[in-house]
Amino acid sequence: MTTHEASADRALTHTDRAASPTGGALSLRGVRKQFGEHTAIRSVDLEVRAGEFLSLLGPSGCGKTTLLRMIAGFEHPTDGEIELDGEDLTALPPFRRPVNTVFQSYALFPHLTVAENVAYGLKRAKVPKADIATRVAEALEMVRMRGFAERKPTMMSGGQQQRVALARALVNRPRVLLLDEPMSALDRKLREETQLELIRLHTDLGLTFVFVTHDQEEALAMSDRIVVMSDGEIQQVGGAEEIYQRPANSFVAGFIGKQNFVDAQVGSPAADGRAVPLTTDHTPLETTAEAVAGMASGTRVRAAIRPESISVVPFAGAATAPNTSSGVVVGESFLGDVVQYLVRLDHGPEVLARVPFTTTAGVHEGDRAQLSWAPEAVQVFRDE
Amino acid sequence: MRRLAARVLGPGALAFPTWAYVVFFFVVPVSLVLFYSFGHKPDEYTTVATDQLSFDRYGEVFSGAVLSTLLASLRISIVGTLLCLAISIPFTYWLATKVSPERRGLMLALVMVPFWTNFLVRTLGWQIMLSPDGFLSDWMQALGVLAAPLDILYTRSAVQIGVVYNYLPLMILPLFVAMDTAGVRLREASYDLGAGRISTFFRVTMPLAMPGVISGCVLVFVPLTGDYITASVLGGASGSMIGQIIANQFNTAQNWALGSAMAVSLMAVTLLVVAVAGLLLWAGRALFHRLTRVQLEGVPA
Repeated sequence: MTTHEASADRALTHTDRAASPTGGALSLRGVRKQFGEHTAIRSVDLEVRAGEFLSLLGPSGCGKTTLLRMIAGFEHPTDGEIELDGEDLTALPPFRRPVNTVFQSYALFPHLTVAENVAYGLKRAKVPKADIATRVAEALEMVRMRGFAERKPTMMSGGQQQRVALARALVNRPRVLLLDEPMSALDRKLREETQLELIRLHTDLGLTFVFVTHDQEEALAMSDRIVVMSDGEIQQVGGAEEIYQRPANSFVAGFIGKQNFVDAQVGSPAADGRAVPLTTDHTPLETTAEAVAGMASGTRVRAAIRPESISVVPFAGAATAPNTSSGVVVGESFLGDVVQYLVRLDHGPEVLARVPFTTTAGVHEGDRAQLSWAPEAVQVFRDE
Repeated sequence: MRRLAARVLGPGALAFPTWAYVVFFFVVPVSLVLFYSFGHKPDEYTTVATDQLSFDRYGEVFSGAVLSTLLASLRISIVGTLLCLAISIPFTYWLATKVSPERRGLMLALVMVPFWTNFLVRTLGWQIMLSPDGFLSDWMQALGVLAAPLDILYTRSAVQIGVVYNYLPLMILPLFVAMDTAGVRLREASYDLGAGRISTFFRVTMPLAMPGVISGCVLVFVPLTGDYITASVLGGASGSMIGQIIANQFNTAQNWALGSAMAVSLMAVTLLVVAVAGLLLWAGRALFHRLTRVQLEGVPA
């Protein structure tokens, strides 16, 4: 109970807090988690900065939820340490950690009203009764649920329950707020609204948010930094743009956004040293010297081209220049702002291309089309 | 054809087996017992006569030895129900939250095995256990726990032990189902919000398990109050319960009027106790809610 009381003692009024961020800095060192034979987390070192919005992103089973549960205290790491502002949390049970969680299932207490749910943590921290009412009202106000204070959670929609779950966690003024896929049960429109609301709350409160998601769009839209995970390991840590534009490996490249992958072999640089040819089984590629920096000629690599980097025009005669290809459009789908084409190249493989709706050049399903892309669009990863 | 049947018999036609069962095997016999309870026993060879109706039999029930046996039975059943509850709560909590789902079936089967054994046989087993020259008595004397042979058989204490043993499964089953209503997610949410294990148990697990507690208590208390096999086998003369006396009136004394009055009184008292317990529970809940309520009215926005 001590840390909770401590955080309650430090409690300032809401307005004071907005001015001075109280988010804690988390530090995970050599964290490993083994469930019997299965290794859920291999060895994770991660620094979460005070007040940042950090997303743990990865496919299901990658260990992101396990990592979050270890920060919350529901799982204990097999090896390694978890520190919050220099204080070792590793051995503390969840009820002694100054962190709170918004659960995927919301986990609201069905026998308590909304107000009682939100007050639960404050009562356990022995906050004076008069302060409880004020803080509960404030927290419900924050998520615009004040009008529902007397309702039971079972009589509310998923979106409303989610706001209450958020208020119930935030009212305790945790130093780190953990969010375990809190929007996975919401419909798209509600999810986008909630994303904006979470960003607003994060900015207003200055807390550290650790957000688990498998939805890369969500992570890209909300986070200061993203941790891409796979197979219990961190693949890359970085800002949204960095991860999107400069993925560290082919896993990250493939997981964030769509990609067209092709196995290739690095060729010798051209005379000017700027463009480097890549040989593949079918289409000759050309990339920049930076993309293949440190890779010797002849190295086997995977080349990746994003669909939105490919331009599609009607077929105008066979082309043999690098970074061009031709094929038949076998699929065309309208995604709102962009049109997505699936093109079967004359050499076999299928390629995905996305063209802004306003620049579509009258290419339709069944037509032959010419594809081309810039050398900068060709990313190269060491084959693993 | 179907329409005709529905018109003649009404929408209750399909429920015929149920209401017929209730009418012929419950409403009619209970009404007869109620009717007989106002009658009297005219002579040695007649069990009941209803030519003169009176409340005299009830006067006999609520006085002297019968009343004291009725009160003693109530005490045994109330204490027995509470003991069953006290044993079942930690056991079912452990079973529902700590035992892996694959092993729960085995545990429940172990609880049920004695229950599937004949009621009389397993009660007789306790007679052997508790007898002054039984193995328990011998061992306890050998260990120096007891100075003299165990003197518990044919007392109310023996009956108390016997009923707790006999009715325990009826408490464990509904409580087991209810104990995990909260589920691991709500318990984790509670820990996350700063509540320890004990706090979580009393504020989340138990409140959500209350329906199971209530049904378990009713399932144990009602049949236990009328039980007479346990008391016959383990209670002897000093440990008799009201059920035995009622059975005696019908089987031995051949006084159906008095027996009926006792049976009706037993039902009335049992219902009264359940009603009072329900009322206390309701009042307790209301009080609890008053204490835990979070009032936001008048808090400025």
